[in-house]
Amino acid sequence: MAECPPTATGVTRPALHRLRIRYTKLGRTRFVSARDLGAVFERSLRRAALPIAYSEGFTPHPKVSFPDALPVGTASTGEYAELTFTAPPDLEGDPARLSAALPEGMDVLIAVGVPEGTPKLARLLPAALWELAWPPVDAAELTPLLSRRAKALLAADRAEVTRHRPDGDRILDVRPALLAVVASTRRVPDADDRTVLRAVLRNDGPTVRPSDLVSALARGDVAPPPTIVRVVQGEVLPTGVRDALGGEVEPLVIDVDAEAA
Amino acid sequence: MLGAAPKAGVPPPPPAGRRGRFHAPGDAATEPASMWPVLEGLLASVQRPARYVGGEHNQVVRPWSAAETRWLLCYPDTYEVGQPNQGIQLLYEVLAAQPTALAERAYAPWVDLEEVMREHGLPTFSLETHRPLWAFDVFAVTLPHELGHTNLLTLLDLGGVALHGEQRAPEDPIVLVGGHAAFNPEPLAPFVDAVALGDGEEVTVEIDAVVRAFKQRVYADGGAPTPADRDELLEQLARIPGVYVPALYAPAYHADGRLRRTVPVQPGVPPVVAKRTVQDLESVPLPRRQLVPLTETVHERFSVEIFRGCTRGCRFCQAGMITRPVRERRGDTIRELVEQGVADTGYGEVGLLSLSSADHSQILPLAKGLADTYAGTTTSLSLPSTRVDAFTLGLADELARNGRRTGLTFAPEAGSERMRAVINKQVSEEDLLRTAETAFAQGWRHLKLYFMVGLPTETDEDVLAIAELAVRVLRLARRHGKGNRLTLSVAGFVPKPHTPFQWAVQDPPEELRRKLSLIRHAIKEHRAITVRTNDPEDGVIEGLLARGDRRVAAVVERAWQLGARFDGWQEQPTLPLWRQALADTGLELDWYVARERDLDEALPWDHLDTGLERSWLWEDWLDAQQAQSLEDCRFTGCYDCGVCPGLDLTHDLGVQPPGGAGHG
Repeated sequence: MAECPPTATGVTRPALHRLRIRYTKLGRTRFVSARDLGAVFERSLRRAALPIAYSEGFTPHPKVSFPDALPVGTASTGEYAELTFTAPPDLEGDPARLSAALPEGMDVLIAVGVPEGTPKLARLLPAALWELAWPPVDAAELTPLLSRRAKALLAADRAEVTRHRPDGDRILDVRPALLAVVASTRRVPDADDRTVLRAVLRNDGPTVRPSDLVSALARGDVAPPPTIVRVVQGEVLPTGVRDALGGEVEPLVIDVDAEAA
Repeated sequence: MLGAAPKAGVPPPPPAGRRGRFHAPGDAATEPASMWPVLEGLLASVQRPARYVGGEHNQVVRPWSAAETRWLLCYPDTYEVGQPNQGIQLLYEVLAAQPTALAERAYAPWVDLEEVMREHGLPTFSLETHRPLWAFDVFAVTLPHELGHTNLLTLLDLGGVALHGEQRAPEDPIVLVGGHAAFNPEPLAPFVDAVALGDGEEVTVEIDAVVRAFKQRVYADGGAPTPADRDELLEQLARIPGVYVPALYAPAYHADGRLRRTVPVQPGVPPVVAKRTVQDLESVPLPRRQLVPLTETVHERFSVEIFRGCTRGCRFCQAGMITRPVRERRGDTIRELVEQGVADTGYGEVGLLSLSSADHSQILPLAKGLADTYAGTTTSLSLPSTRVDAFTLGLADELARNGRRTGLTFAPEAGSERMRAVINKQVSEEDLLRTAETAFAQGWRHLKLYFMVGLPTETDEDVLAIAELAVRVLRLARRHGKGNRLTLSVAGFVPKPHTPFQWAVQDPPEELRRKLSLIRHAIKEHRAITVRTNDPEDGVIEGLLARGDRRVAAVVERAWQLGARFDGWQEQPTLPLWRQALADTGLELDWYVARERDLDEALPWDHLDTGLERSWLWEDWLDAQQAQSLEDCRFTGCYDCGVCPGLDLTHDLGVQPPGGAGHG
């Protein structure tokens, strides 16, 4: 095992191996809270017999870190985590080994080693691309309506919405976090069209959730979308968001016929 | 409103009497729809939705059409309380091993989901495939205590199954209960079809075989069962040893309201039903493939039951009385279960479970061996134990090798020597103080001591002895560290059936409150002692249901109608509803809880046999009142409690302890 040089205290510690992953949180696992996610990962890593590193101290915790918390109930194909191992986990070429140990709905899409000096994971994730999909009804009316409102929202300086919480309502401005928003109609073979909204929200700064964006656009006459997906996170480009780990660009404007192809 | 989903309808259950085709074995066309697509859309509006989604590691999903019998195993409390239950997990594996059976699980919906389910017509569902309760053949509910009774009614009602057994349709699920509180099922008698008494491993397989044969017969050639068929099935179940079918028995009362007896109402039904006991625990090394939750539960660890039964003879302890004799799992089997289970589940903690884990004849080599195996890893070992002695402390040190030496828990249960003799908790004050001193000297920082108040013959002097003992322990603690602390946990005693205290008076809440304040007052200047108590009113419902008779069923139903749910939860203060229900049904609470019974009075559970001789229990009750203690029969010889000869059983210890002098 590779070893670090002795520290000032003379204790030799094994070199740690950091790995960053992009993973999904779909199906039933979208209801797993951020609070429970650490334990889900810890047990999955232990089941896969991966050499997970633990913190020192009285109550050792597995070195698994998440840059932020996805709201409970929201699905994602763009979750990220940093895992630390005491030996090379050999997952880069074979992320399926970890996927197999994770619950159904959670799959590792990309795993990359982290060279020394790489910026913190959160700094690689300045923004997220979100997709909000409505049921296959009213698309002919709903898409143009949301398009108009989206353009108006982008043109405005402020857009205050009320977030309802058990401990009291809170008013916040969604505009500073909103980088782009586009409504379009997705055609699905053998089914009615559905309205899809894609938006890019900044991760840094005050948290604005996609549900807040819905509040700004729905204005009481549009039903909340039943599915919200965090598609990907990373660098913002004029055309979309570039996956921080894989490098592929997820477009803001969906190819309406792609699904039919 | 644009973009609103068409209201996702739950198909209403077919009317009772027309559900037969869903029960017919082996036909894909009879598969009831999964409720998941509807439930999924509603979960955003409830707390902790991960409770309801399933998807755990080691869940077993078998195709509906491939099974001949379909069981829904239930723990009538929230998922996070019920999921770790070993009994459910054990029976889940027993049924999974039956090639023709299918078993899924259900837990009680929290009150917010219940409201949503009623609004949307969503039935009680299974966790694995979200299928409705009414489509299963057996609804098997464990009753670890009495405070899930109202939740059982909620689950039946939401599940499309009539509350009263006599109103059920022929094809409806058989409502089967088991577990410790099922040893007095009378307050639930109208609502349950059958009760399995004692260990479930073998009887479950026998029940499954009877249900399977029944289904093969009644569903042959597109047929469906008739009401007479259901009656016959119940009679067949009543012929299985250990199965009690309440509808086949009737209570008779004296004019003054006391019970005269409970007797079979038809020939061929056994007058007394004896519990089932698995003599050889080695024959069922389960649960092996334990379920790993996706959300936090009350016990997150891989648990192995290291022995079943207890003969310490604590007179308040129902579990110790009804699970005799002692049957130990062998060290090699335990090791194998732990090592395989830790690797399979990914749990970081191992629990060695039993009623008094330090009493396993091989506990020290076992604990040392496991501590060696996991030395230097992040896997920790825990051993719930109530024994207070040097041996237990040595064990705790062994187990703490890998982890923290923060908290150590002992249960002296009573403060005075006299009171401990009454309850037969055999630990002297000298031992206790010595053990506490050693613990603090070895570096433990925090001691938790468990006590009860409201015990039979208790005086204020006995109550104050708890505080005096605590202060003495604290003085010792302080000698070894200024920051050392002590927590007293004091609970109100609730007399339970099948124990020597089954004849005793339960203290009313105001009396418990007074006794607790005596303790608080006596230690109030010692800020390093924390006192934890339950609400003295908590034990009222428990006491009523623990020793209630069949008439109390009307109170259960009324309290449930008035809205009682999750009676054990602080968030759900349901006692006013129960008081209202008692008033509405004309029953008197104190008659059930605060009345001393005498030997001549029939008890509602007299026809249910744990093996304990009633005369032995009575003698032990008399001994208790004279503060006469009784040694553990494992080490000092048989005192004729009746279990071993009566049920043709023996203690099963891997190794006989030398000289019968305990483990020393």
